[in-house]
Amino acid sequence: MIAPTATLPRKGLGWYLYGVAAADEASARLGAGLAAGAAQEVELVTEGPLVGVASRVSLEEFDEQALPDRLSDATWLEQKIRTHEHVLERVLEHASVVPCRFCTVYRGEVELRRFLSERGEALEAALDRVRGRVEVGVKAFVDRDRFAAGRARQNDDIRQLEAQASTAEGGRAYLERRRLEQLVASELERFRGEAADRIHTRLLSAAEDGLVLPLQAPELSGRAEEMVFNGAYLVTADRVGFEEALGSLARDIRDDGIDLELTGPWPAYNFVPEELGAG
Amino acid sequence: MSMSEQQTLKQQVTLLELVDRVLNKGVVVSGDITLSVAGVDLVYVGLRVLLSSVATLEEPRERISAAGAAP
Repeated sequence: MIAPTATLPRKGLGWYLYGVAAADEASARLGAGLAAGAAQEVELVTEGPLVGVASRVSLEEFDEQALPDRLSDATWLEQKIRTHEHVLERVLEHASVVPCRFCTVYRGEVELRRFLSERGEALEAALDRVRGRVEVGVKAFVDRDRFAAGRARQNDDIRQLEAQASTAEGGRAYLERRRLEQLVASELERFRGEAADRIHTRLLSAAEDGLVLPLQAPELSGRAEEMVFNGAYLVTADRVGFEEALGSLARDIRDDGIDLELTGPWPAYNFVPEELGAG
Repeated sequence: MSMSEQQTLKQQVTLLELVDRVLNKGVVVSGDITLSVAGVDLVYVGLRVLLSSVATLEEPRERISAAGAAP
């Protein structure tokens, strides 16, 4: 982290930059769209071919020393995260956008404009990549019961053990059911990787680009079923071809116990360069 | 578009889904003209705040083992 120099003003208003769009695409269409129903006043700062989508914010609120405390305030954090996404989603309805990381705050308009002009080339390249495209998220979950009743039965040992368990009695039946559960669990473990590969290959072929993301824990995914795949795809803004591929894939793997969940459209958070360097 | 596809599209986006993207992804601008949070692990901070436990996020999950007993 780079410490602010002591001579820079710490009070007053700075600029919170949500993202960057192309001026030719954004200015006319965005002006009206952003003004309507905005929780926070959003302004378009045009610099050459680029437009910064930004809001004036209190530098005190986003002060580096104060920020760690702010970040530990769940109410503050949630409100800011939602505002960030909400603004970008409204931009996305009208124009392609390069999203900025949370809490990108400039000390003044001069600094913001300097960033847009000095990093213009990199920003335009990033914009070109996402132009006319959006990001979607795809997660896959496995339903254990459906997996056990369907896909797992392709395993001969499992079928055999199932037949034995169904005729066994008393203590032996219990032990065989336990063995069966363990066998299904190990079959599922093996199948997870296969399913993830299959899903990604299929979806990637219908997308401009795609990434495999880390799996999320159940408290993140909000679902009891186990996540077996988490991916992000850069797709055409109309999403037609991708959704067709997704629908057909979903039908194909449903009997294996896999359910797909689609999120988005998102600003292309996963498909912009992480580092643009010093401004 | 099928019914199920429409349903998944309408799936409510959770806050935690947002955290994953807004705090973790997007262009990072570093330099002394910005108030930089680049040194802060935002996702960790955010999730620690917004979740009661993030222990499971720090390691890739190794939940199922063949020998594991049913809960």
